[in-house]
Amino acid sequence: MPSPRFPIPQGTLDMLILQILSREPAHGYGIAQRLEQISRSVVQVNQGSLYPALHRLEQKGWLQAEWKQSETGREAKFYALTRSGRKQLAVEKDSWARLSGAVQLIFEEEGRP
Amino acid sequence: MRRLLNWFRRRDLESGLDRELRYHIDRRVGDLIRSGLPEKEARRQAALELGGFAQVREEVRDIWLSRWLRDFLYDLRFSARSFFNSPAFTAAVVLSLALGVGATTAIYSLVDQVLLHALPVRQPERLVLVDWMGDQAANGFGSFNLMSYPICRDLQSQDRVFEGVFCRALTTVNLSTGGEHKPAAAEIVSGTYFPVLGVGAAVGRVLGNEDDLTPGASPVVVLSYDFWKTQLGGAPDVVGRKVLVNQHPMTVVGVADPVFRGIDIGEVPSLWIPASMSAQAIPGFTGLLDRRTRWMQILARLKQGVSLAQAQAGLQPWFKTMLEEDTRRAGFPHVTAERRQRFLASTLELTPAPQGHSSLRRRLSQPLWVLLAATAVLLGLACLNVAGLFLARGSARDREMSTRLALGASRGRIARQLLADSVLLALTGGLFGVALAPLAMRTLIASLPRDAAANALQSSIDLRLLGFAFLVSAAAGILSGLAPALQAGRGPLVTSLRTRGGSAFNGVRLRKVLVTVQIALSLILVIGGLLFVKTLTGLLAKGPGFQTSRLVSFGLDPRRSGYSPAEASRLIRRVYADIQASAITQTSAVARFQLLTGGSWNNPMTIQTNRRISTDRDVNLNAVSPGFFSTLGVRIIAGRDFDDRDSRPVGEVGSRSAIVNEAFVKRYLGGRSPLGVRICQGDGPDAKPDIEVVGVVADFSYRGIREESEQAYFPIFEGDDAGGSFYVKVHGRPEQAFSSIRAIVHHADPALPVAYFRTLDEQVNRSLNTERVLAILSGAFSVLALVLSLIGLYGVMSFVVAKRTREIGIRLALGATRSSTAWLVLRDALVMIAAGTAIALPCVWALGRLVASELYGVKPTDPAMIAASALILCSTALGAALMPARRASAVDPTESLRFE
Repeated sequence: MPSPRFPIPQGTLDMLILQILSREPAHGYGIAQRLEQISRSVVQVNQGSLYPALHRLEQKGWLQAEWKQSETGREAKFYALTRSGRKQLAVEKDSWARLSGAVQLIFEEEGRP
Repeated sequence: MRRLLNWFRRRDLESGLDRELRYHIDRRVGDLIRSGLPEKEARRQAALELGGFAQVREEVRDIWLSRWLRDFLYDLRFSARSFFNSPAFTAAVVLSLALGVGATTAIYSLVDQVLLHALPVRQPERLVLVDWMGDQAANGFGSFNLMSYPICRDLQSQDRVFEGVFCRALTTVNLSTGGEHKPAAAEIVSGTYFPVLGVGAAVGRVLGNEDDLTPGASPVVVLSYDFWKTQLGGAPDVVGRKVLVNQHPMTVVGVADPVFRGIDIGEVPSLWIPASMSAQAIPGFTGLLDRRTRWMQILARLKQGVSLAQAQAGLQPWFKTMLEEDTRRAGFPHVTAERRQRFLASTLELTPAPQGHSSLRRRLSQPLWVLLAATAVLLGLACLNVAGLFLARGSARDREMSTRLALGASRGRIARQLLADSVLLALTGGLFGVALAPLAMRTLIASLPRDAAANALQSSIDLRLLGFAFLVSAAAGILSGLAPALQAGRGPLVTSLRTRGGSAFNGVRLRKVLVTVQIALSLILVIGGLLFVKTLTGLLAKGPGFQTSRLVSFGLDPRRSGYSPAEASRLIRRVYADIQASAITQTSAVARFQLLTGGSWNNPMTIQTNRRISTDRDVNLNAVSPGFFSTLGVRIIAGRDFDDRDSRPVGEVGSRSAIVNEAFVKRYLGGRSPLGVRICQGDGPDAKPDIEVVGVVADFSYRGIREESEQAYFPIFEGDDAGGSFYVKVHGRPEQAFSSIRAIVHHADPALPVAYFRTLDEQVNRSLNTERVLAILSGAFSVLALVLSLIGLYGVMSFVVAKRTREIGIRLALGATRSSTAWLVLRDALVMIAAGTAIALPCVWALGRLVASELYGVKPTDPAMIAASALILCSTALGAALMPARRASAVDPTESLRFE
């Protein structure tokens, strides 16, 4: 029986990571858990693509990383949003809203007899 | 760029990522165990969820550094290691590329500085040189593109096409900043010079229009930054100081911008003097406001939006009117109708002048381009050689390549590896080349024709030059790596894996083509080298036409030390008498103009025999004392030398006698005896030929050794000559005479500087500097080229013999003679040599025309020269091919067959 969850659309993972980090800094595992929570039973996030995404965002300067003590007492790499990361999140949210709005509109138009 | 940095901290990044991933797994495993899974199962699931440790790591690495770049960097590292393992190969490649890049960089630096570098002024690309095409009906002094000061003033009103116009002339003044008087280069400039160029002051102010209003009313100067720093120690209170310019007090009003060194690369001025003070800057000069005195170059800045062609067309109507007006002006010379016509047909020509104006550039541009082309060919040869070496190495590594291919490497991947090899080596070679370049540049600059050039040209490497060297080395790397890279892994995989100990004939044909091209290029360089060497030896053998041994010369210019003409004339006569009486002197003389400097006093002349003729070109003139010709060892062929009869007391002026040279007699008097013929300067209707020719001398060089010209001499002591060039034939060594001569001048006037002091041998050498540089460099280049292509030929032939040993063995076993096997190899070499020669000859024919003007006594297509070069090339090339050929004939059939 295939899972009802579908893979996360290309490009949205970055946006979701930015969104999660906009509340507070977190380490990779924390982000993975958070993704799991909010998307439970809807989207499936491949944990393997999480780390490449984090490093990509860091490379772009939207995240900055720091080794800090985690809740278990072990050192973990915490990611935090930078100023340009915050700007990027706003841009992506905005374009996402416009895109989904437009798709919605098309569905409504087509749905009419 | 940030990504490239990641390469260097990749170890940190890796360990960080490992820690990060381990943390993730451990937490996940902990959580899963807590939810009830056994540890083993938990670990398995955590790893599964992550999708494989290695894969994640690989993906993240791609983000740090794109895969292509990462692989390339790994390739580079691999190449570097393999080069350390074969030092001989590496040294050969790096050395040939270092030579190529170093030579090209050095020559390019000169080309850049002398020919290409734009002036450090505002929008240099809008500067144009204004030149008069046609007859100006005027007299002039100076270098090239000369016009009068009033015309510059007129042009300033042409504000529809020009934003501004300025004029300038170079001179040497005696400058004293408090102590000793020293000759200093000065630029006489219109008030518009600094504003139009857009050059400001480092201290104080620059010259402006207010300094150029009334002749004689603005005794101010601006010093160059270098002069201020080196001669005045950068004194902060320099503004307001008084300096003496030719004994005239002038006030320093400022120091020019540090980067600005005048508009002539070859003559860097120490100070700028307003044109209004030209009478003080050039003693005895009164022609500032005279339209018939050409002595300044005029440059202008085009108005925004006006093109060169528009500006030139826009000027002509005004210019025509001005010419018409000029002919009606008082003081317009009485000229023939024909000359008047030429005057009225004159036009103004504008040429782009973003690099300013320089006679050095004019003189050096062709030799420099020739040298740059030669170095480019040399670099090409070095690249071909390296390509050959790479191909050879490629054949040796063929098994390695095939194995890699068999294991699944793509051909592109392997080609890239080979390219990485060559780029790495080329950049290393380039680095060595750049290290060598300053040395080469210093040597080159020291041998350039002018003393001033040595001051103005830099031998340092700047960013521009580094960029050039980098581009050249990268291009060399790609060029030399391309052929082997394309060759990589061609041919069927199975065969090359099957053959043991190397491979079949991969790349041999390509190497033969490379060697053929090398032979063609080196033949071109050898012919060029021979032509320039022949030119130099021809000029040296010709000599100046007088005896230079134990002959020294020095110059005095008392007018620049504030002497009146009469005082100066008395001083010159006194020094002349003192030198005559000195114990060091065998004979001595004085002349108005120095010999072998490239310049002269010249004018057309009118000759009166039984009819009146004008010379069809300028005659080179000089004024000399009695004994001038005997001091130089020049034969007097007919008539007599000047003597006391031709001298007049100081203050009295007038010519009575002249001596002409053989060339003059030959060109204008046919077989007729010239003695008693009357001549004069000028060719207008009002010229009065009233000077009697009293003697004829043998031809000798005046302006330079190349030139053969008509010359006429006047007595120096019959006029108001106030300066001159002394020629002294000394007893003993010339160096010892210098102190005695200095003492004589010092005795006459302790404050009088000696303008220059040199032996005539030195002067001859100096006048042949360009030819010498061309001969030495092109000779050296052709030897290098020859060596490079011989190595290439030898390499490929040895390779062929090694590969065909078995075949040769079989041939011998079947009864072939030893000489026929040697011929087998030699035939190959002969084909390459013949093909190379066939390619080279048409190129020589085409290129020859470009260098023709640099040659002397030999044509670029001189058959003897070409035959000699081809002979040199063929014999050495055959020599290089003979060794492998002998090896082929010495093959032992049994050995070679057993070898298999």
